Amino acid sequence: MKYWKYLIFAVCVLIAISLPKFLGVYPLQILNIVLIYVALALSWDMLLRSGQMSLGIAGSCGIGGYTAVLCTINLGLNPLVGILIGSGVAAIIALLVGYSVLHLRAMYFAIVTLAVTEIFRILVRNFEITGGPEGIILPNAIFKGDAAGTYWLMLAIGVFTIILSWLFQKTRIHFALTSTANDEIVAASSGLNIFKYLVIVFVISSAIQGMVGGAYAQIYGFVTPESSFSVNFTLLPIIMVLLGGTNSTWGPVIGAVILTVLAEALKLVIPYGHLLIFGVVMIIAIIWFPGGIIGILRKGGVQAHH
Amino acid sequence: MALLKTIGLTRRFGGLSALSDVSMEINEKEIVGVIGPNGAGKSTFTNVVAGLYLPTSGKIEFKGQDISMTPAHVRCHLGIARTFQLMRPLYGLNMIENIMLGGLFGKGHSLKIARKGALEMCKFMALKDVERPISAMTALEIKKMEIARGLTTEPSLLFLDEVMAGLNKDETMEIIETVRKINQQGMTIIVIEHVMRVIRELTHRVIVLEWGKVLCEGAYDKVSSDPRVITAYLGEEAEC
Amino acid sequence: MTNLIVNKFKQRNFLIGFIIILAVLILIGIYKPHVLTEGLQRSCLYALITLPMALLLGVVGIINLAHGDYMMVGAYFAYWLNVQFGMDPLVAVIPTLFVFFIFGIISYYVTFKHVIGKPEVNQLLLGFGLSIVLGQAINVIATNQPRKLSLDYVSSSMNIGGFQFGTFEFIYVAGALIVLIGLHLLLKKTRIGQAALAVGQNPRGAKVVGININWIYLFVFALSIAIIGAIGPIFGTRNTIFPEVGLAYTFKSFCLIAVAGIGSLTGVLWVSLILGISECLVLSSINYAKWSEMIFFGMLIGVIMYRSHQRQVK
Repeated sequence: MKYWKYLIFAVCVLIAISLPKFLGVYPLQILNIVLIYVALALSWDMLLRSGQMSLGIAGSCGIGGYTAVLCTINLGLNPLVGILIGSGVAAIIALLVGYSVLHLRAMYFAIVTLAVTEIFRILVRNFEITGGPEGIILPNAIFKGDAAGTYWLMLAIGVFTIILSWLFQKTRIHFALTSTANDEIVAASSGLNIFKYLVIVFVISSAIQGMVGGAYAQIYGFVTPESSFSVNFTLLPIIMVLLGGTNSTWGPVIGAVILTVLAEALKLVIPYGHLLIFGVVMIIAIIWFPGGIIGILRKGGVQAHH
Repeated sequence: MALLKTIGLTRRFGGLSALSDVSMEINEKEIVGVIGPNGAGKSTFTNVVAGLYLPTSGKIEFKGQDISMTPAHVRCHLGIARTFQLMRPLYGLNMIENIMLGGLFGKGHSLKIARKGALEMCKFMALKDVERPISAMTALEIKKMEIARGLTTEPSLLFLDEVMAGLNKDETMEIIETVRKINQQGMTIIVIEHVMRVIRELTHRVIVLEWGKVLCEGAYDKVSSDPRVITAYLGEEAEC
Repeated sequence: MTNLIVNKFKQRNFLIGFIIILAVLILIGIYKPHVLTEGLQRSCLYALITLPMALLLGVVGIINLAHGDYMMVGAYFAYWLNVQFGMDPLVAVIPTLFVFFIFGIISYYVTFKHVIGKPEVNQLLLGFGLSIVLGQAINVIATNQPRKLSLDYVSSSMNIGGFQFGTFEFIYVAGALIVLIGLHLLLKKTRIGQAALAVGQNPRGAKVVGININWIYLFVFALSIAIIGAIGPIFGTRNTIFPEVGLAYTFKSFCLIAVAGIGSLTGVLWVSLILGISECLVLSSINYAKWSEMIFFGMLIGVIMYRSHQRQVK
C-alpha cells in the first residue's frame, strides 16, 4: 500500500542520523542550514495551504532566538529547554496577533505579520535586557559547538516538521485548510469555524519557526537585532516553497535543498548578487510556475502524493 | 412551534433594500417554495438566513432561538444547510472529500465516520465513482454532490437555491424525487426556483417575493393565479 | 464643495474632533513650533510617497510591494544624472517622470500583467520578489555604500520673529498638494480617470461597456511608477540613499493607506499629518526619541485590530 513510502522515509532518517560518522564539519554545517530552511519553508507552506500568507517568519525566528538565549543566560536553563520556551513564546505571540487580526485576510494579515517582525526588532534593539543593538553573546554554544550534536538537533527539528506537515495533509486539518483556501463561504456553510483553524495553523507555524530560531541562536551562540530578525529568514523559505512547489511536503524540502546548495555554490563564484538571482527565480516561479517543481512533476503525470 | 421564523427581516446594501420587512414562518416537514422575479430577494433571503449576511434589522428565530447575529458555521451546527445558486465545488478536494466536509465540520465526526457517512450519502444520491476530481464530473453530479454536502451536516432545514437551473427534464425529475425522499425522512426544505413545474410538483406552500417584500403566499394554484403575481412576473398590460 | 464642509461641521462628532485637533496643534505651535513645521514637512513627504500607491491600490486594486524600491531607483537615477551631467535633482524630476513611465510599462508587461485576476498572494509575492530584484540590482551596480547629494539650497531657512525653520522641505508640501489635486482632477474630470474608477469597481462590467481593461491597468500602473520614480530625486535631495532605503517607505505607505481606507486619496493626507506630527513630537523629547518608529506601528496595529473586530461583526 502506501506504507512503502513511510518505510523509505524511515530508512532515509536512519541514514541521516548516521551521517556524522562519514561527513566532516563543513558538510554537516551545510546540512544544518538545509535543515533550518526545510523547517522554515515547510512551516510557511503549512499556513499558505489555507490561502493566507505570513511575511513574518523572521519575527517568529527572532522571538524564539532571543527567548532561548535569555532563558539560558538569565534563568540558567538548559539550552534545549530554552529552545522549547522560545518556541512557546513565539506561539503565544502568534496567538495574540492571530486572534486580533485573522478576521482580515490576505494583504492585511501579511502586512501585519511584517509589522510584528519590525516591532520586535525595534523592541530588542531598544532595551538593555536584550542587549541593545549589539545583542547578546552566549558564553557557550549548545553542545559546546559539537558538529554532530548540533546536526542531530536540527535533524530532529527537521524531521519533526516534515512529520507535522504530513499530518496536516492526512487529518481533518487538510480539509479545513483546503476548503478555506478554495471557498470560504462554502467552508463556513458546511460548519467550519474558519477563524479557529486559521489561528491554530498560524500558531503551529510560528511555533516551528520559533523553535528553529531558538536552535539557530543556540548553535551559533549569539543574537542580534539584525541577524536574528534577518529578512533572509522570511525571504528564502518563500522562494524555496515557490521553487519546490506549494501545498506539498516534498516541494518545500526539494526547494530548500536546491536553494541552499545553490547559494553555497554561488557564494564561491560571485561574492554578492546571489540574492539577485534568487529574486529573479522567485519572479519567474510566480509568473510561470506557480506550482513549482512539484507542480511540473504533477502535470507531467508523475503522481507526487505529498 | 415554527421551525424557522423571520420577523421584519430587512437587509440593505448601501441604498438598496434587498429585503424589506420580510415576515414568515416555516413549519417542520414542510416543503416551501420561494419564488419571485429576478432581483426579488430570493437569494438574499437564503444568504441572510444561512448567515452569509447579517440582517440590517429584524429577527430570525430558528427552533425558538434568536440566531440573527449568529455566525454562519454555528447556524450550520444548529441545523441549517444550503446549496448555492452558482455551483461552488471545492476544486482542491475530490467528490467524496467535498461531501465529507459536512460530516467533518458540521457534525464534528472523525475522518472515518465522516467518510462512511459520505459513502452512504453517495449511494442515496446515486453518485458513483466517488474518488473523481471535480473536473471529471458532470453538472448534474456536481449539483447532487452539493446537495449531499449539505445533507451530511444532518440539517433540520435545507435551502435549495435554484438547484434545477440548467437541468433537462429527466435530471429535474430525478432531483425532485430525491427531494421528496429527503422530505419524507422528516427534513424541512425551502426551494427557491424559477422553474414553476418544480414548485407545483414539490411544494406544499409558496411564498412570493417582489422587490424584497412578501407579495403573497399560499398553495401553488392560488398563488399562480393571483393577478399581482402574474403582473410581477409579466408586467402590466401595455396601454396601446 | 462648501456645502459639504459646512454639513460636516454640523455633525457634532466632527466638530468636537476638529476643535480638539486644533487645540493640540495650537499647543504644539506655542511650545514646540519646530514640531509643527517639521511635522508638516515630514507628513507631506509620507503623503507624497503614499499617494501613487494609494492610486494603484485604491483605484484598480493592485498591490505593489516594490513601491518604495522604485522610488529608490529613481533617487539613484537622479544621483547618476547629477554626477554625470551635473543636473540638479529637482530639474531631473521631469526626465525621471518620463523614463519611469516607460519603466512602469515594461515592468507591467514583464511582471504584474500575469497576476491580474489571480489570488492576492500572487501579487504580494511578486511584489516582494520584485523588491528584492530592484534592491539587489542597484546593490550590484552601485554597491550598498550610502550616497548623499550635497546641495546648497536644502539648508535654506527662514526666520519669523526669532523662530527659525527650514524652508526647503516645504517642497514636500507643495509636491503632495500638486499630486493630490492632480490625481483628483485626473480621476474625476478625465475619461481615462473615470474608466479607471470603473475598472476598479467592476472589471467585468467595465469590459462589457467597452473599456479596454488591460490598457487601464497598464496606464494606472505606469502612472503610479512614474510618479513614485519622480519622487525619487526629490527624496534624494535631502536624504541619504542606499539600496534598502525604499523598503521602509513601502511599508509605511501601505499602513497609511490601511488606516486612511483603501480608495481614499485625501484621507491619506490627513493620516499622514497625524503620523508626521506625532513622530516629530516624540522625536523632540529626548528620552523617547528612539521610540518614534513605534508610533507608526502602534497606529497600524490599532487600526487593523479595530477593522478586524468590525469585520467579525460584519
